[in-house]
Amino acid sequence: MFHIPIPIDAIPQTLSAVCRKEVKMNTENILEVKDLHVDIHMTEGLLTAVRGVNFEMKKGETLGLVGESGCGKSLTCKAILGINDKKCKSSGQILFDSEGLGKVDLLSLDQRGQEIRSIRGKEISMIFQEPMVAFSPMYTIGNQINEATRLHITKDKKKSKEISMEVMRKVGIANVEKRYNQYPHEFSGGMLQRALIAMALVCNPKMLIADEPTTALDVTIQAQILELMKELQKDFNMAILFITHDLGVVAKMCDRVAVMYLGKIVESADASEIYANPQHPYTRGLIGSVHKIGSKKEERLFSIEGTVPLAMNLPKACGFYDRCDVRIEGLCDRAEPELTEIAPGHKIACFNCPHEACRAQRAKVEAALNGKEADHV
Amino acid sequence: MNKDNIMEVKGLHKRFTSKGVTVRAVTDVSFNVKPGETIGIVGESGCGKTTLGRCIVRAYNASEGEVFYRTKSGEELDFLKVDKKKMKEIRKEIQMIFQDPYSSLDPRMTVLDIIKEPLKANFPKMPKDEMDQRAKAMAEKVGLNPMYLMRYPHAFSGGQRQRIGIARALVIEPQIIVCDEAVSALDVSIQAQVINLLRDLQKELKLTYLFISHDLSVVEHISDKVGVMYLGRMVEFGPAESMFEKPLHPYTEALLSAVPVADPTVQMERIPLKGEIPNPANPPSGCYFHERCHYCIDKCKTDSPVLEEMPGGRLCACHRAKELNLRGFTYDEGAKTQQAAT
Amino acid sequence: MWKKKQKTNEDYYLASQWTLMGRKLKKHKLAKLSMLILLLLYLGALFADFLAPYSLDEFDALYKDSAPSKIHFVHEGEFIGPYIYKLEKNIDRTTFTVTITEDTSEYYKIRFFVHGTEYKILGLIPCDLHLFGVDEGSNGGTGAKIMLFGTDALGRDIFSRVLLGSRISLTIPFASAVISFFLGVTIGSISGYFGGAIDIVIQRIIEVIGAVPQIPLWMALSAAIPPGISTVKMYFYITIILSFINWTGMARVVRGKFLSLKNEDYVMAARLSGVSTWKIIWKHLVPGFMSYLIVSITLGIPGSIVGETSMSYLGLGIKSPATSWGVLLQEASSVTDVASNPHKLIPIIFVTITVLAFNFLGDGIRDAADPYK
Repeated sequence: MFHIPIPIDAIPQTLSAVCRKEVKMNTENILEVKDLHVDIHMTEGLLTAVRGVNFEMKKGETLGLVGESGCGKSLTCKAILGINDKKCKSSGQILFDSEGLGKVDLLSLDQRGQEIRSIRGKEISMIFQEPMVAFSPMYTIGNQINEATRLHITKDKKKSKEISMEVMRKVGIANVEKRYNQYPHEFSGGMLQRALIAMALVCNPKMLIADEPTTALDVTIQAQILELMKELQKDFNMAILFITHDLGVVAKMCDRVAVMYLGKIVESADASEIYANPQHPYTRGLIGSVHKIGSKKEERLFSIEGTVPLAMNLPKACGFYDRCDVRIEGLCDRAEPELTEIAPGHKIACFNCPHEACRAQRAKVEAALNGKEADHV
Repeated sequence: MNKDNIMEVKGLHKRFTSKGVTVRAVTDVSFNVKPGETIGIVGESGCGKTTLGRCIVRAYNASEGEVFYRTKSGEELDFLKVDKKKMKEIRKEIQMIFQDPYSSLDPRMTVLDIIKEPLKANFPKMPKDEMDQRAKAMAEKVGLNPMYLMRYPHAFSGGQRQRIGIARALVIEPQIIVCDEAVSALDVSIQAQVINLLRDLQKELKLTYLFISHDLSVVEHISDKVGVMYLGRMVEFGPAESMFEKPLHPYTEALLSAVPVADPTVQMERIPLKGEIPNPANPPSGCYFHERCHYCIDKCKTDSPVLEEMPGGRLCACHRAKELNLRGFTYDEGAKTQQAAT
Repeated sequence: MWKKKQKTNEDYYLASQWTLMGRKLKKHKLAKLSMLILLLLYLGALFADFLAPYSLDEFDALYKDSAPSKIHFVHEGEFIGPYIYKLEKNIDRTTFTVTITEDTSEYYKIRFFVHGTEYKILGLIPCDLHLFGVDEGSNGGTGAKIMLFGTDALGRDIFSRVLLGSRISLTIPFASAVISFFLGVTIGSISGYFGGAIDIVIQRIIEVIGAVPQIPLWMALSAAIPPGISTVKMYFYITIILSFINWTGMARVVRGKFLSLKNEDYVMAARLSGVSTWKIIWKHLVPGFMSYLIVSITLGIPGSIVGETSMSYLGLGIKSPATSWGVLLQEASSVTDVASNPHKLIPIIFVTITVLAFNFLGDGIRDAADPYK
């Protein structure tokens, strides 16, 4: 069948809004993720990589998504843009306040369709961990940055080149005329990351997803890039979803933090709150595992024992049970705690937390479990 | 050789030549190591720390310089100049742990075989039972369940593989271990486990570590002395505490200011470094760091500084080391301050 | 169910590279089918004397250029099992055309485990048992021939010739591939592991050898070998000689793999542990690309088979009375001949199937090859 691409501007916004179910979102938020699940069918079984993630992002703020390998943070972000592998099945809702399509559930859009492609690169951009492999070695950097410009802004060759060069200047690449025609191998790591940021920002997106953008860089270059991102965020007024496992970077960059473990968010709060007052045992463990530079040498670092289990055939229990130092036997191994708000902006999923809301949840769950036992008996 | 030291590196140089271009990976590095110490080597990419580590274990052959080493039997020799037979003997005493837990283990051997391999290569006459026993004991010591030793490496996680690598390095009872970014590829919580393990083993087996890393926080935690490298040269060397509190070299100062602290209430004024790390094949004239240094004077552009002794057992390669008052970083849980500069 | 899961996990943990590869290969349907086909073909070659109803030198004037026998099951309304008729030649007196018809007066039942021409098992033990054949006719007559694939210009049964010819076509290329393999791996590994001057010299030698053109060389060798040696032996010699030239491709690839693998951390770890150089090469490095080598062989053998077929077709390889598939095809090289006797092209199907089977097997192994990805 022939597919005639209809540019999204041709459809009046009202018409598209009528055709699609209108979703309700808080006006402050640019992104709301509700009960996101990502399952991967493998020959060995079903890998439930993301098991019900809920979070929101306000316009213009930086949310840090912290977690170690295997927690599902990369899959979550790729699900937002719909660029997960075919084998991954996503479900839930990802509500995004877009310009072109209004308030829309990104998961309801066809992953290969025109609509989500009008959002990708234009309204939501992504930058990746290794800038060396993010660029094709066959084309010049200018050409690749220009690809985004020509796709989303203007097809005029001269104008698009000007726009691309302007954004390259903005990210601090010196000697732009020369650099525009150079190939990726002629750039250093830090320069490439700047070019990657340029490519992501050229269309002035409302949201930027940064997947470990500075992990592969030297510490002084990392500092430069982080400062650049903070500046650009102010200039472009965009929200940043910052994924990392480096707690120092999170402290420097993020307004709010969500900690992920085994496919679920276990704690989310403002940055200052979460560092000063971590409630979840995993968060406490993570913060304790890192030696803060300049502090006195301790004898031993606090370490969480054990390793992250494989997210396959997980029993109905708290994912952190095996490694938790405050686990409650009989409760934490039979039920999963839900994210509850214990203070404004501070949510946690733990049965052992002393706060009012958590204790209420714990009581309810214990009652339900005892009820079930009574039924069995 | 000084009787207190177990190893003395003097004037180590390593050059790689390819297609007419010479890259000076390591230039004139000297430092001393006492037994039981942990020496941290930090630097960014291109600084030569990995090459330095490999030259010390003689995986690469250094172009120039000496590495004096005191063997277990008390012999003092230049490790770089010994003949093949002697080297095979002493090889057992200096071992290495690698960065990548996925490529440092042969995927086609069982874990038990991997740990036994150094025993087989160095003690061919040892009876099989004894080899098995030693390997199993070492595996237990590093925290591996001996039941799982018949598995292949793909069955283990990154942290566990790193433990296998440690067991392999320790099974022949070395004196010195070079840890080449041994924890950099691991998750934060696993890093903490492995670092604690390394420290416990050091105390128990009286090991000396040469800990190469780019992560300053880890290096500060684990090291007694630290050496900072830039573009193949060692620019500063000294006790970890005093170096981090009050650095002597401008590069160290810049490096410290760039490290993000895991505490959002700390406001650190970063010392911005202009430009990029220069190409090691084409280093700047004079002091390698002069193009990016804030304290650069004319002399720095022409004369290359050498490592000079400074008070407190420290070394620094900077023309202005004695006059500069640089900013370090101390973190106090309660106060959260940084030391000010003048 | 929990226990079952544990078992499969444990299997995975304890499985060596080969086990993992084998498991993946089993899932590849085409590769399994190919393995089965190849197994059948090689068994056929092994038991060719037994499976073929006739031997190579049973000429027959009556049955020249005959089409494949028609197998009937029902005779005059009765079901009597598979049988054939004897053929008759009738010459029309006026037009002098020859027509061949079946003599329906007598039928010859196809029997199994008949006694036929003698042959020697392994060249030593005489035996005359054949899997199937025709004995006496219903009325006691003799002389019928069962020709599943028809006959050639001299009346020899093509089915038998295909089976007996497969012995040469399937085995000699194998030998050549094995020799090239060992030469290639050894020389390539020396070149790749030691590098430097050794590498440069060996690479130049490879280039010189690789530049030698095959067909003219073959022709020259053909002419140079003294007459009187049986063609099979001659073919064998030439193949061996050529395999001393064909190892270059393998050597290049092995060298490349070595250059990339020798910098892996576990190789350095082995060196630092004090393991000797040869042990490092054979224990750590070669197994690393063994799967690639297996693929190379399985894909190289069909090349040799087609090569042999081509050579024999050109008249440079095996010649009659020795038989290989190439010889059979050579006898079918005239267009008019093939037009009137299309059954002579049946050996092509065998060559094609064999080549495809090796290719699919190689594909399957290649897909299964890196079980750690």
